[in-house]
Amino acid sequence: MTLPTAPPVKPILQLEHVSRRRAGRPAVRDLTLGIGRGEVLGLLGVNGAGKSTTLSIVAGAMRPDSGSVRLDGGDFLEQPELARRLVGWLPERAPMWPELTVREHLDAHGQLRHLRGAALRQAREAIIERLELQPLARRLAGVLSQGQRQRLGLACALLHRPSLLVLDEPANALDPVQVAGLRVLIREQAAAGTAVILSTHLLAEVTAVCDRVAILHDGSLRHVGAVRADDHAALERSFFEIAMNHPPANAA
Amino acid sequence: MSLFAVTRLEWRRLLVRPLAWVLAALTQAWLAWTFTLLLGGFLASQIQRAALPGGPGLTDLVAVPLLGQLAQLAFLVVPLLSMSLIAGERRNGTLALMVAAGVPASRIVLGKYLALLGWLLLWLLLTLAMPLALAHATHLDWGKLAAATLGLALMLATLAALGVACSSFASHPAIAAAAALILALALWSVNLGARMAGIDGGAINWLAMSSHVQPLLRGLFSTADVLWFVLLIALALALAARRLDADRERG
Repeated sequence: MTLPTAPPVKPILQLEHVSRRRAGRPAVRDLTLGIGRGEVLGLLGVNGAGKSTTLSIVAGAMRPDSGSVRLDGGDFLEQPELARRLVGWLPERAPMWPELTVREHLDAHGQLRHLRGAALRQAREAIIERLELQPLARRLAGVLSQGQRQRLGLACALLHRPSLLVLDEPANALDPVQVAGLRVLIREQAAAGTAVILSTHLLAEVTAVCDRVAILHDGSLRHVGAVRADDHAALERSFFEIAMNHPPANAA
Repeated sequence: MSLFAVTRLEWRRLLVRPLAWVLAALTQAWLAWTFTLLLGGFLASQIQRAALPGGPGLTDLVAVPLLGQLAQLAFLVVPLLSMSLIAGERRNGTLALMVAAGVPASRIVLGKYLALLGWLLLWLLLTLAMPLALAHATHLDWGKLAAATLGLALMLATLAALGVACSSFASHPAIAAAAALILALALWSVNLGARMAGIDGGAINWLAMSSHVQPLLRGLFSTADVLWFVLLIALALALAARRLDADRERG
């Protein structure tokens, strides 16, 4: 197993000994992980490794059973408004209100995050333009294709210009052109100082856009290391070694 | 601020969903038909009533029975409108988005409740407009009508709070609707046995919703009745908020 690399000097997000049980079994165990501004962290793991639970905790949708989460120096668990201001979250399968149009969706998300009036309109139109959602702006979310829903979900996550972007399988249902566009967008966000956590099954996604990778298995952090774009094989080796040699604790 | 964002969002969703419009159209058509029948009966009995000075007027014979019809329809309408408020959001994952946006559980519950209450009060006002349209032509007992309207408004507010609570506890909207309907009917008729036995007081009668609505429909205002509704609304909404908080804890 690769030795963990040092965490960022001044992380925007710092998880310390975070544990969480779901459906009677540990979903995340004693997770300590940090991410710095402008960094893209890939979160890899097989199904059930604890990626989505970790991201739900980071996004503020779920509380850990134990441990601490610090966001921009503040106690995230004690100050839920930190999540509202600083975190943008795209959950898996991009949940939507099917009876609202794309524009109404963005308005609703903005209002929930306290954006109002001209600031909201400006942010909404900017993100519609950036993600090329103009042709869909008046369409109901319920009739969008899965790829279009992902783009709308991404727009909602980016609307309030978060400092931490949490993306759960964002490339799901996107075509190759859209995947390429997504990679550009992620690097753009990182260049602007946004920290990005990207959960994915795709190793190629990690080598293409991530600065560091964390591999979770059975709820535990098994590997943290820098990603080198030219060393896909090494990442693949680490991933399969962890996935194959560490069967889940509750497996037969 | 997030309270109004939730209310606005829920109100918008209510307005664009066919269910709310279909229910409004069907119930208003039914109530308009009932109003016509009641008015016909009122006009037909005018000669007999002329011989009884101080006898029942338009308020007793048309307006209050019409509101009584609305109360009956509310047992079906409110669970249908409230069922997906929280259970539906939980199922499609949007509830987690609200929680992640830092909106406290109490504001999610209250915001959704206010949106539903707004719809129900509009529904009540539309129904009330029918007898009020005759106000220029006949005498209305304004005090009695105000008490009956208050009783109906409180009843709708209570059913809505129960509906929101059931929606927060149920995993599926249909289960929430069934639970809200059963709970509302049970609460209405919990004292049926006691009444049939000729018992008028006691805790069982105090518990029944009918014991608190019917005096108001007869024009009898009592602070104790109003307090009963307020307590039940507060309890139901607090339970719903507690359940949402537990969701976040349990995942």
